[in-house]
Amino acid sequence: MPRPGFVLEVDERTPPVLVHEGEGFRLQRFPLGSRVVYPPDPLPGIKDVGAAIRHALENPVGSEPLSELLKPGMRLTIAVDDISIPLPPMKPPDIRQRILEQVVEAAARNGVDDAKIIVATALHRRMTADEIKRMVGERVFRSFYPKDLYNFDAEEPGSLLEIGTTDEGEVVEISKRAAESDLIVYVNINLVAMDGGHKSVAIGLAGYRSLRHHHNVHTMLHSRSYMDPRPGRSAIHDSATRMGHVLRDNGVRIFAIETTLNSETFPSQFGFLNKREWEWSLKDQALFLAAKRANELAPPRVRREVWRRIEAPYGVTGVNAGETEAVHERTLANLYRQQLVEVGGQSDVLVLGVPYVGPYNVNSIMNPILVHCLGLGYLFNMYRNQPLVRQGGAVIMFHPVPWEFHQIHHPSYVDFFEEVLVETADPKTIESKFEERYATDPWYVHLYRTSHAYHGVHPFYMWYWGAHGMDHAADVIVVGGDPRSCARMGYRTASSFRDALEMATDTVGASPSITYLHVPPLAIAEVR
Amino acid sequence: MGAWGDLRDVAKGWRWGRRTLVPRSASRHTPTRLRGQFPTAWARTPVAKAAREVLLSYGLRPLVRNETAPKVHGLENLEGLEGPVILVSNHTSHLDASLIMTSLPRKWREKTATGAAADYFFDTWWRSIFTALVYNAFPIDRTGRGHGATDASHMLHDGWSLIVFPEGTRSPDGWMQRFRTGAARLAVQHAVPVVPIAIRGAYAAMPKGRNWPRPGRLAISVRFGRPLHPGEDEDHRSLTRRMFQAVAELFDEDSTTWFESVRRAERGETPAPSGPEGPRWLRAWEASRSLPRRGRRPAWRR
Repeated sequence: MPRPGFVLEVDERTPPVLVHEGEGFRLQRFPLGSRVVYPPDPLPGIKDVGAAIRHALENPVGSEPLSELLKPGMRLTIAVDDISIPLPPMKPPDIRQRILEQVVEAAARNGVDDAKIIVATALHRRMTADEIKRMVGERVFRSFYPKDLYNFDAEEPGSLLEIGTTDEGEVVEISKRAAESDLIVYVNINLVAMDGGHKSVAIGLAGYRSLRHHHNVHTMLHSRSYMDPRPGRSAIHDSATRMGHVLRDNGVRIFAIETTLNSETFPSQFGFLNKREWEWSLKDQALFLAAKRANELAPPRVRREVWRRIEAPYGVTGVNAGETEAVHERTLANLYRQQLVEVGGQSDVLVLGVPYVGPYNVNSIMNPILVHCLGLGYLFNMYRNQPLVRQGGAVIMFHPVPWEFHQIHHPSYVDFFEEVLVETADPKTIESKFEERYATDPWYVHLYRTSHAYHGVHPFYMWYWGAHGMDHAADVIVVGGDPRSCARMGYRTASSFRDALEMATDTVGASPSITYLHVPPLAIAEVR
Repeated sequence: MGAWGDLRDVAKGWRWGRRTLVPRSASRHTPTRLRGQFPTAWARTPVAKAAREVLLSYGLRPLVRNETAPKVHGLENLEGLEGPVILVSNHTSHLDASLIMTSLPRKWREKTATGAAADYFFDTWWRSIFTALVYNAFPIDRTGRGHGATDASHMLHDGWSLIVFPEGTRSPDGWMQRFRTGAARLAVQHAVPVVPIAIRGAYAAMPKGRNWPRPGRLAISVRFGRPLHPGEDEDHRSLTRRMFQAVAELFDEDSTTWFESVRRAERGETPAPSGPEGPRWLRAWEASRSLPRRGRRPAWRR
């Protein structure tokens, strides 16, 4: 039985604690009495994943078995989550490959001719052929790519179909091919509670016209939190659910296949990153010292390449298929079993170690805006009930925040950073003044469609993800951050954790309570 | 921070050369590591036995007698006994095993082994070797999930007498705690006698938390009692109660006289060795009184 997560209270016996800081990590001592939130141990993975997938497809919840839904002459669209999850990428074979192979096999046996696989990128960058191949496996790739296996294109003229409008006036517009199919099979990985459910089709296969209804500052400010998709808790999920109902009511048939993974996040050579520090063996200590030294000495390109090549040896903890909501309920239960940790109350200071990878810099560079999104957007929101830090508290993040952008993947980010943030960091002003222009800029649209660039509006969304964190915390201090890029985003910088705490006293007083969220592996704090 | 800084942090944080500590709030969530059985059979080979005898006779015994003033009583109770036996004692100090080992006559000492907590005495290679060699110790897993009982059983079967502290751990306040039943189970299972031992004064000399005796060469009394033979139909619970009572009577005998203690025992009025009622500080305070020195005072004050 894996151990549940727990909250450590730092005492004089506590060794220094590992903190991620971009493409690096450090050991950090915390003041006595600080709390450290540790995730539960990895749940055991399913031994026979193939059998679990077969069982899920043949015994779905709230739906007929997949084999009964597949008929000759039908139009079948299989949509699949893109490279943004899981993080780090899964050691092959990716669970999506294993599911796709069984779905395709079933389609072939049931005489389906018109089958297409769409990578549900929404406004994310197009995945490269190699990335797709790695994700879907050689057999699926060879059979379908490029004609019948392709990235979703939200800007292709005539490629979207308006399905209807929600009670709240939200336009529901998704991929025309998917909407006109007799069946959409959506293959998902639920890395965090934010993923999956109605979000898969209603967001993954949608364009700007539809996404703007929930990817906006108002919705983000009222999503408390993204990791709590229960009705009334997260405005973005409520919106996705309304849109999902519109799809359902208009006859769009979806067969959802959702999977959950355990928290085996790092391979054995980085095994110490998965462990609680006081349980480090001599070998773990030696590995830490060797890895840290090698990481520091390596040239930046080599260092990035080493991190990029990390593949997580995830175990699969659940495969569920069938009707979207019924499936997602099971998925969330599985996910919380792996990630939920009970925490007693808020603190004055929240400490976050921002790791090297987020959803939008896989095989890429984590630019300052993505640091903001991952830190204040996602990690800050790894809670249920109430944030780990009190209203008006301080957030201390560890990351070098280099002034560095991937010119192919993030062209609009460069301009957002150089043009928009120079003028204001206020999400509402940014939204009203700049969003429309970036979203419709023909050059960004061109790069999104033909290159591998994120959509022109994407950096805005990244900024909005952090809106709740910015609104909630009175101070954001980045330890080791580039002063120029941090200043541009309205953050303060400190050269050491001690300095950061000293600076935070302006906001939270001289003896603040401190909580450090020890991720990755991921944990969601259930804050009482 | 450079490589040296990291090395220093790791060495300090993980207490290289010393026992790694678990943060208090994490102890509930940290399972006692099931150690791969540290092999101790080598400690019972003729070479190791010879080395142990040298270490005990010329190292540990003089050291113990230099730092404390132990008096040993009741060894005559071992006369006529054939091993193996189980020696059970109250446990208040790290001195206890050393006191018993160095008090035993050589012929007993050579065939006696000690059960030692796996998580404490066998947590590093150097401590494991030291413990196994000097005390002829074998690891006992205090979580009850290990093989300690099996090892003890095998050793009794092979004719080794065992030193067991039935309280399971050192007393936090110097007074005797409840006896666990493991020692009695072994005695019943192998039909071997149990020799009770009462150690007084060891808590005052070197309580939990100290790793060297207090200065002043404090008096300690090690009193061996009459062997208890398990009855034919006696179960381990009954034998455990008798063991506890025997040690209690030895305490009474040591603090008064043999005659008085026997009279009190007959009347069922033996004072409880679990100490006075009251707050923990009071119990610890009472237990930490050093024993009065008996016999001639040394000519020169130490």
